[in-house]
Amino acid sequence: MTGETGETGETGETGETGETGETKETRESGGENGSARWAALGWVAGVLALLLALPLLTAGRLPDRVATHWDAVSGRPDGSMPLWAAAVFPALIWAVVSAVVAVAHGRPGRATAWGGTVLLSLGVALAGAQAAIVRANMDHAHWQDADSVTPWVVGALAAGASAGAAAALVARRRTPRGARPTDLPRMDVPPDRRVVWLASASNPWLQALAAVAGAVALVALVLTAAGVTDPLWALIAPLALVSVLTAACASVQVLVTERGLRVSFGPLGRPARRWRPADIESAHAEHRTPAQVGGWGYRLSGLGTTVMLRAGECLVIRAKGRNFAVSVDDAERGAALLNAVAGRRPT
Amino acid sequence: MLLTLDTADNRPLHEQVAGAIRRAIAEGECAAGDRLPPARELSRALGVNANTVLRGLRSLRDEGLLEFRRGRGVTVAQGAARRSVLVDRVRDLVTEAARLGYAKADLIEMIRVAP
Repeated sequence: MTGETGETGETGETGETGETGETKETRESGGENGSARWAALGWVAGVLALLLALPLLTAGRLPDRVATHWDAVSGRPDGSMPLWAAAVFPALIWAVVSAVVAVAHGRPGRATAWGGTVLLSLGVALAGAQAAIVRANMDHAHWQDADSVTPWVVGALAAGASAGAAAALVARRRTPRGARPTDLPRMDVPPDRRVVWLASASNPWLQALAAVAGAVALVALVLTAAGVTDPLWALIAPLALVSVLTAACASVQVLVTERGLRVSFGPLGRPARRWRPADIESAHAEHRTPAQVGGWGYRLSGLGTTVMLRAGECLVIRAKGRNFAVSVDDAERGAALLNAVAGRRPT
Repeated sequence: MLLTLDTADNRPLHEQVAGAIRRAIAEGECAAGDRLPPARELSRALGVNANTVLRGLRSLRDEGLLEFRRGRGVTVAQGAARRSVLVDRVRDLVTEAARLGYAKADLIEMIRVAP
């Protein structure tokens, strides 16, 4: 209830035996994520192999040092590397970027919008540039004689950019913007029962940040009031604002009753957002991460509004044509009750 | 956590509140050590006055199901799930005894001589 994991399994099991009935399972299968992961891994490995193989397999027709940099104006080669370095250097860049994308996405190859865009565009551009370098150096005795690469590099960059744009477009189309699962969870509420669902979530880091900002503002206020220093309003005002706003975003209380959904923010439960049952088109649970919605707190993104306090299960509603999500445990049952309250049949 | 109220229940409101939370604990809705939602939130959820909620929570503390801790709010006590099941049965027993004309003292005497 307060966000400790481990207890949730037990809660779900025993909860389902109650009169409120079972909630429908709508967890998405790992199939699509899994295949995207393998595709990403295959792409990373393939590009890596290509970057290494291109210069090494053609080593017999390349000079010992290959031209790797060209003067932008004259198009003449003005920098070189040993052949092995020319093979390893782009591969190293590729490996580092791939690792960063993998780490940022929690586990290797998990496809989300920007990761796929970066990997696709950079892979195409690097492979194209490597091919251009090899072609320019081929069948020349010295790197100084290498051909110009300008049109090839421009072509590689353009190809990379369009591949990235295509990946971004596909990713956006596949992102469930306004999409809703076809099988909504729904709970059976017997007519002689009133069932309410409460959940809360908090982020200790945001709470600590709010506390520190508030404490510093308070000290500055005391110093100012005591006349120890010049008035520190330039420090107090922004810190107090940061403290209040962060505290409001650091914890959230979610309540589902027959009056609809209420999401209240911060330790005081104010401000709060409310949705009447009539306004709610659908509700479901979904796994979301801060990387998907652009960070922690009150986020606006392509997925709609998300109150993100921790990665994991989120209660997602669609109301008045907009998506709103809040990261709370046990969201599946909250969504099920909300759908029951709104009086919808599972489709 | 999911709280269920019987709309036909005509017991006093604070007892209904205590009953709903006792039942939630028995069904594993909140485990030992979990923090209960603030009284303000519970009063909004159940549609009763915050003082009524607090009265219900206090009776659960007296039953040993909840712990009130300064700075940590109201938490579920260790072993509360098992205890709440037992407490529920004792309450049923007392109700049944009263219906049959036995006072609590009679019941206690029966329990004392029980094998």
